[in-house]
Order: sequence, then C-alpha cells, then structure tokens
Amino acid sequence: MTSRNCFTIVLVVVLAAPPKTLWGADAGRIQFENRQKNSGVSFVLDNGTLPDKPMIDGIPGGVALLDYDNDGYLDVFFTNGASLPGLVKDGEKFFNRLYHNNHDGTFTDVTDRAGLRGEGYSVGAAAADYDNDGFPDLYVTGFDRNFLYHNNGDGTFTDVTEKAGVTGVSSTGKKLWGISAAWLDYDNDGKLDLFVTNYLDWSFATSRVCGTPGTRLSCSPTLYKGQPNILYHNNGDGTFTDVSEPTGIAQHIGKGMGVAIADYNGDGWMDIFVGNDNDRNFLFRNRGGKGFDEVGVESFVAYTDNGVPVSSMGVDFRDWDNHGNPSLLVTALGGETFPLFHNEGNGFFSEDSYKAGIGFRSFKMSGWGAGIQDFDNDGYKDLFTANSHVSENADVDRQQHYRQANAVFRNLHNGTFQDVSSEAGPGMQIRAAHRGSAFGDLNNDGRVDVVVSAIGSPAELLYNTSPSNNHWILIRTVGVKSNRDGIGTRIKVTSASGLVQYNHVTTAGSYASSNDPRVHFGLGTDTVIKEIELKWPCGTVQVLHNVKADQILTVTEE
Amino acid sequence: MLFATFSVLPVFAGSCTGAETQLAQVSKQLTLNSPNAAENTLRTLSLSYPDCPEVVLQQARQAQAKGNSSQAAELFYRYTDADPNDSRGLAYFGRFFLEQRDYMRADALSAAAVEKNPSDPAALALRGEILIMKNQSSEARALLEKAIHIDPDDPEAQFQLGTIYDKAESSPDAVEHFRKAVSLNPRDARAWDYLALNLEPLDDVDGADHAYRKGLQVNEPGRYHDSFLDYNYGRFLAKRNELAASKQHLDRAVQLTPQIRAVWYERARLDMRMQNYEQARADAEKAAACTQEGGIIDLQIYSLLGQVYARLGDAALAKKYMDLTRETPPPVRGENR
Repeated sequence: MTSRNCFTIVLVVVLAAPPKTLWGADAGRIQFENRQKNSGVSFVLDNGTLPDKPMIDGIPGGVALLDYDNDGYLDVFFTNGASLPGLVKDGEKFFNRLYHNNHDGTFTDVTDRAGLRGEGYSVGAAAADYDNDGFPDLYVTGFDRNFLYHNNGDGTFTDVTEKAGVTGVSSTGKKLWGISAAWLDYDNDGKLDLFVTNYLDWSFATSRVCGTPGTRLSCSPTLYKGQPNILYHNNGDGTFTDVSEPTGIAQHIGKGMGVAIADYNGDGWMDIFVGNDNDRNFLFRNRGGKGFDEVGVESFVAYTDNGVPVSSMGVDFRDWDNHGNPSLLVTALGGETFPLFHNEGNGFFSEDSYKAGIGFRSFKMSGWGAGIQDFDNDGYKDLFTANSHVSENADVDRQQHYRQANAVFRNLHNGTFQDVSSEAGPGMQIRAAHRGSAFGDLNNDGRVDVVVSAIGSPAELLYNTSPSNNHWILIRTVGVKSNRDGIGTRIKVTSASGLVQYNHVTTAGSYASSNDPRVHFGLGTDTVIKEIELKWPCGTVQVLHNVKADQILTVTEE
Repeated sequence: MLFATFSVLPVFAGSCTGAETQLAQVSKQLTLNSPNAAENTLRTLSLSYPDCPEVVLQQARQAQAKGNSSQAAELFYRYTDADPNDSRGLAYFGRFFLEQRDYMRADALSAAAVEKNPSDPAALALRGEILIMKNQSSEARALLEKAIHIDPDDPEAQFQLGTIYDKAESSPDAVEHFRKAVSLNPRDARAWDYLALNLEPLDDVDGADHAYRKGLQVNEPGRYHDSFLDYNYGRFLAKRNELAASKQHLDRAVQLTPQIRAVWYERARLDMRMQNYEQARADAEKAAACTQEGGIIDLQIYSLLGQVYARLGDAALAKKYMDLTRETPPPVRGENR
C-alpha cells in the first residue's frame, strides 16, 4: 500500500523552437453526425419491458469504448437487458455486443468470438487492464450477475468473475444491483482496483406498481431501500479482496448510479464521486490509500445548493474552466436541472448550474450519460448529456418526454455554457430513449466522438464533425511502476500561447459506461505544446517540452 | 361578456333600465381593481337610479376594494336581503368574506351561489377557488372549466384554473390560463407572478422576466396584491446571475413577509453567492427560527447553515449542521416519476 516510493522528475525535450502562435481558438460550431446507419453497428438496447414497468426496465444501457485488440482504434461494447421477469438473455436481441472497429468507419460484430454475450440482466461496463498485461479487460455490472472478463489478447475473453472474487455479492451474501463501475488505483500500488455502484434493494417480489393501467410509470426510488457500494482491492494475482468494510465504503447506503474518479483535492490520491438517485450524493475522499471519508455534505456536493437531492444519473469529474481542480457534472430528471458542482480548490464545491447558464435549459431535460469533453478543440471542455426520461409513459405529463434529443453545451470560456444542441447537426436531434454514453476518438482524427445507447432504437455513433481547424493531442499513458493504463495520472498541458489545461487518465464517468483511456486536449490554434506535465499515480512527475500538436502521443512512465 | 351577464337579469330590468352600460363598465373597473375609476360613475348612478339594486351591489364591491369593510358588509347585506336568490350577489358577498378570511361564511355563500345558479361564472369561480383551498382540486377544476366555458373572459376563473395546473406542475396548461387572466385583467399582480413562475420551467426566460416586471408595476394593495412577487423575482434574478438586482428584491421580500422562512432562506443563499457570509449566517438563522416554512424544509436549512458556518470557519457549528444534514432524510416524493 505504499505510494510515493518512485518520486522523480523527468524532463524530456521532444521538439525544439516552438513556433509563435497567438491564442485565437476557433470557437466554431460543435457538430455531430450519426454514422450508425452504414457502420455495421446494429445494436438496439432491449430492456425487456413489461406492462407494469418494473424499476429494472428503465435502468440499462452501458457503453464501453476500448481497444481490445490493441490495433490503435477504439472498439465498442454495449450491455443489454434480458427477458423479464426471468432475467434470461433468451434471444439474440438481449446479448451484450462487442463491435470491432475496422478503421474505415465500419465495425464487425465479434461478440461470439470474443465470448461476450453475457448472462442475466446487464447494466454497466468498465474497461481497463487490471492485470497489467497490456490488454484491456472488461467488467460488466448487472442486476443479478456481475462479470469480469479477462482479455486473453487473442480476440477472446474469459469469464474470471468467480476466481477473481468480484461477483458483486455483498458481505452478507446478497447480490447487489450493480450499475456503474470504475477502475482506479486507490492505494497507488500499481494495480487497478474496482469500485462498483449499487442501486436499490428491489426484486420482482417486492416490486411496486405505479401510474395507471396502460400508462404505468417507473416508481420513485424513494419507495425502496438503497444499497452499499463495493470496493475491490486488486491483490495482483488475478484475485481481488472486498475491502468495502475496512475502507469505509460499505457503511454508506445510497442509491448509486454513475461514478467518476478524480483527485479533487490534489493530494495525489484518487477520490470517488457517486451520484445517488433521489438521495444525497457521495464524495469518497481518499485517506492516503488507507480508506475513504465520505465528505459529500462537507464538500457541498451531496445536495444541490437548494439543499435537496436530485435523481442523479450520470456523472463526470473534470476541470472545465482550466483552473486545475476537477469539477462535477451530474445528470438528473426533468424539473431538477443538471447540477454542475464547481470545485473551488479549497475543499468546497459550489453548485453553479444557473450561474453557468445550464439551469433553465437542463430543467426541461432528463439525462443519463454525461461527459465533460472539449468537442471543438478550443481548449475549454464542453458538456454533453444523453437524454431521456426514465418512464416510458412519461409523456402523460405534457412537460415530460420519454424520447429526448441529446444535448451539448459549448464552453464560452467565462465559466458559462451555451446550449448549442439545436445547431449541432441532425445527429443531435434524434429523439430516443438514450441511456449510457461513452466518449472517445473513434477515428483518431483528434475530435471526441460519442457513442450512445438507446432503449428500443439503434445505438448512435455520433462522430464529431465540428468544422474548426483547431489543433489537439491525445495522450496515451503507459504505466510502469504505476498501473499499466496510467489511470489516475494527472496531466497538465501548457500551450505555446500560454493556456493551461488539466485532465486525468480515467475510463470512468458518464452513466454505466467506460470512456477512451486516452486523454484528449483541444489546443486551439496552437500547433505546439510548450509543456506537458504528467503526475503518475506512484508519484513520478514527468515533463515533456515542445510537443507537436495533432498526434496521438504515447507516454511511457519513466 | 360582463354586460351580457348583467343585461339578462330581469329582476332589475325596471329600476335599472338605461344604466346597463355604465353598470357594466363599473363592474369591469371593479374587477380590474380600479375602485377610484368607478367612484364618480357610481355616485352619479346612485342619484339617477336610487332603486337599482345593482348599484348597491357595485357600491358594495367598491367599498370592499377601497378597504371599507363595514360599509361593504352593510351594502352586501342590503343587496342580498333585497334579492336572496341572486347567485352573483351571493358570490360577490362570498368573495368579500374570503378576503376577510371568514372562510366558513365564504364557503357557505359560494355553495349557495352555485346552488342558486350553477351556470353563473362568478359563482363557479368563487366556489372553485374555495374548493382549491379545501384541496378538492378535481371538483374545483370541473367548476372552473365550466365557468370559463360559459364566460371565457372571466379573469378570476382563468386565474384559479391556472393555479390548479400550477399546483399539478403542469406549466404549459398553467401558462395558457395565466396568460388569459392577465390579458383580461392586466392589474392582477398575482397572475403575472404565476405566469412568470410557470414560464421559467418552460425555458421562456425573457417571457418570465417580462411577466415579473409587469407584475411589479401593478402590485398595489388590494385584492390582486402579491406579497411574494419580490421573492420570486429575486430568486429568478439570482438564477440569471443578476445578483445586485436580486438582492434589492429579496431585501424587499424580507420586509414584506418576515414571518416566512423561505424569504430569509433565499436571501441567505444569495448572501452566500455574494460571499457575504456574516449576512448569510444572520439570514439563515432567521430562516431557521421562522415557524412558517413557506416550502423550505429543515434539511435545506441544515444544509445551508452547515455551508455558512463552514465558510465562516466555525468548525463546531458547521459540524453540528452537517451532522443534522446527514441525519435528516431527504423528502419523500410521489410514488411516480
């Protein structure tokens, strides 16, 4: 459980003599184009819905972006539901799906070869290389089963759940309702640990029926008790130990949905944020790798600034105003707004939804997937939300809509955002029952794309076609003493024109989904980066100078 | 429509003949809360038509509008004694009692008015309003819908129906009725306030701002006065990041309704945003001491006080309120989503 035993400062000069550029990023339009139709991705999320609309049928829909075959292109994995009430994937329509990226805009369904059809009612996915063998593995959460699939490196995966001890069963022997998962090295020992959010103590036996016959609605989660989350410590031998109790995770009962990680207080240890549905959110502050203190109330992220909970769904945890402190985006249901918790850098957050200009707009939206990403490469991260109401019959209320268009809010560089969804192309006008969304560069063009799952309609491959000529860099970290993926590495980029940006390596975030492990930075008009500083989880600080823009840069831990 | 309603009252046909137009105008002026405008006309009418009961009824309403309760009561009694079966007289008298907060008599008179004439919009509107107060929303809605079906230009019925949709959080429907209400009676500050409140969730921010401003322009003492207009506009301005302007209205709100927790709470939140933590502490403590919640629950107070004391560096009190925040369960919402 040691961490700071490899502290070094490494200076690397990559390029000399940066050209002089003025900061004048093209803050142009953000555009997305849905290229699902000819892509070979035919996935349709099937929630197995029943007329009574049980709680379970609103919840599924994780997406994972992972390069499972290390060919340099992100592949796409979708989780899927099952028939109800049997919880059985008794037909192809319920299989989870893995699509291989053919590098030409098309994908090939490789689910069967990979052995990833899955079992039971799947919900979330989290990808990372937990055994440091160079191939990303896959954890799939679900209502009745969680799975850890080890990547064999030959296009196949092996179910190692039981052997690894990550079944999602609590210490009392009860299978908890897994939603999202995050890979992180909470004790900086060079091995990725696993955090799993759990939702409600619900079953068909205790299921309530809400709404009226013919227009049943999803019941409020306040009708059911919550569940504890789980933290598994990686033993380094292919097995994990449930450390939820000794680390202080298990004592906090919530209604966990999205999870995101970041070192919010800059102490070198990754912290965990969990969005709880209609309950106070959790911020687990890492106590030097020895455990966690839940400080959501103390940090002012438990509730909105109006002192009430929202139906927290998806979350992301990144620095959107380039001040060095990761802040939070949370999606919620219509009538609540999407809370934006701004990290003040002093242990406190302020809820800035209205101040940042998204309050009125998001009040009408219901959101699931969430991302803080720089879509126009102007050096300031924007916001994306995958939208839909939870209830299929939500439209009985004139103000609510089950099928909604996704939303993108452009960062105006002054702490505020502008809803530019309506001008972001036809792909952003698709009204569907969107759920999970994953963020990453599918075609390695330096623009962050989005893959969104939707109940009852084709998944959307939203390629970022924003017309700006702004520059960018994607940084792929390879840990040596730190975990191989470099998850938890904090990266500071200083552009030639002086703009400083921060981000960190993580696949966690959004709703039940897993993002590109490569870290993206938009660079505006800068063609050269003056300095890149990487703080690896084990403590190494590595600095690169004069790095050329518009490349996928692999940085191996020195 | 008011004229039409009046002109078909046969009982007054003889004694009021020739005064119909003026009486309709007076009635409209009183509905629009302009008792001074009606005063001269009524004085003239009372001399020209000394036996016209309708003049007495409008005089009663005028006295009511001017705050002369005893005179109003006397005139209403005189009118209803003269014609105990006139639903409109009973309805206006019932509204007088409602404003006097004599709810039992208002309830009884509204029921009697509807019984006398189930098609009288004034009676239906009052009865609907009282049923709303008695939490009988579906019955109220039926009566109010009937009222506006008979007379779509009855501003009170439109307003009351709007409040039903507002309570049901159905803003598009509420907006429809509040828009109609303010078009019929632009002096109804309550309707402007409700209109603004329901435009907010529809993301019609400019429309809401306009409605709040219109409401503030006409927010005068009387039947249509809205004590919470400054509070609501102050909150709205805070959402729009117009903090200084927000403070002006919240300052006024705490003066207008100092007994309500919500106004102190909201000003404390604004104080926090303006980093005026000492004032935030004072306002939040005031909010905590208020007995009339105004929709603000203990959890919100604890959460706010925890933040205030944390900002002030008072660790002990911060911990106290943060512990209370943790221990207080969140509000239970409805079964559905």
